[in-house]
Amino acid sequence: MQVTCNDRDPIFEDGTLAEWAALEAHAATCPLCAEEVRAWKSLSVAAGELRDYSDSPSFWPRIERALAEEAARNPRRAERQGWFSFLPSLSPAWPAALAGALVLILTLSAAWIYLRRPVDGRGTEDQSLLKSKALKEVESAETAYQRSIDKLAAEAKPQLESPATPLLADYHEKLLVLDSAIAELRAQAGMNPSNAQLRYQLLAMYEEKQHALEEVLETKR
Amino acid sequence: MGTMGLALPWKARISSMPRERGTRVEPSEHFAGGPRPALGEASSEDAALAAACRSGDLRAYDRLYTLHGARMKNLARNVLGNPSDAEDAVQETFLKVQRSIASFRGQSSFVTWTYRILINTCYDARRSRLRKKEVANDDSQETPRPEPRAPGAHPSLRMALERALAKLTQHQRDVFLLYEVEGFRHAEIAGMLEMTETASKNTLFQAKKNLRLMLEPPRDSAAETR
Ligand SMILES: [Zn+2]
Repeated sequence: MQVTCNDRDPIFEDGTLAEWAALEAHAATCPLCAEEVRAWKSLSVAAGELRDYSDSPSFWPRIERALAEEAARNPRRAERQGWFSFLPSLSPAWPAALAGALVLILTLSAAWIYLRRPVDGRGTEDQSLLKSKALKEVESAETAYQRSIDKLAAEAKPQLESPATPLLADYHEKLLVLDSAIAELRAQAGMNPSNAQLRYQLLAMYEEKQHALEEVLETKR
Repeated sequence: MGTMGLALPWKARISSMPRERGTRVEPSEHFAGGPRPALGEASSEDAALAAACRSGDLRAYDRLYTLHGARMKNLARNVLGNPSDAEDAVQETFLKVQRSIASFRGQSSFVTWTYRILINTCYDARRSRLRKKEVANDDSQETPRPEPRAPGAHPSLRMALERALAKLTQHQRDVFLLYEVEGFRHAEIAGMLEMTETASKNTLFQAKKNLRLMLEPPRDSAAETR
């Protein structure tokens, strides 16, 4: 395999072992590529500076205690939890949005109860597909989120476009990350609209985005 | 920032810390910068671990900690800047796993899901720290508390790298930490950060290009290609 200087970046990005070997062979006679390959690899080695796996003996017992306490407090909690429990807890009330959120929670609960109801003679795989009624409910929840988000985004736009504090800059970054996750999930859900997991992940992302925007607006107060 | 860091004599192999808990996660130096060899899929162990956690068996969480605790704490420390906040985030992650394991449906691996929770928890902690700072009307930049350093670590390189990482986008920083520091594969990172594998590769490429410029600008930017 013959490579030139122009192949260097694509190989850095996604080269196979054979392509890397060819690049190394080329670098043996090309000082520029030799230098670039060296610097590229040195970043990987430098990353080792950020690795510290020393164990603190008291750490696991502390986690274990917290897990045991949680289990004792809420023995059946895990079974009651829905899809969003891993998400951050609600921020202090933001009245207008809260009313909207309540409607959404009701819609979601209805969809969730519908989804979780026992279906006679069906395997568990069927639960991963949304029935047409639940699908409609999820779609209307998505639309409600989108409307609410559009409104909040318009309000928060000035703050986010020129973030005045590190916190706002952080929110701005979080929203960018959420937007790319939402775009990705929407693309996947578009190919497979009745996949329950995808749709609920998407709803969770919308919920997360709504919270983030609400928190941005809270900083104004 | 100048050229500090990468030209310094830190190249001696950084040995992985001997430890009872935790897995080997250091990418082989042979592959430094290059493609990562596929690790054996441990999907059945992953599913078994998820099932045991779902059943409420605390030994399963112990196993999860043994396999991933050190790596989780290291990742959290690199995002949050100090070991104490990192331990809080890891503990919170274990509690969130416990609370929401019933909703885990196995679309991604259990471990991937756990790291996704960890990453979200870390960023929530960062934001809440920033929020508290603003409330306290302290608009000074984030200054991580000094922390004990791993034996053999090169303080100035580490600091230069941390400063440079702080200037990357969140995605670039996450992918760099997960791939280069924690040794995950792009397929795993894609699941953790909810992006495609191609996006993960491209984000790492951009992250490393930016880090290279910050840490060690090319000596001869005018050098022509052949
Ligand atoms: Zn060349």
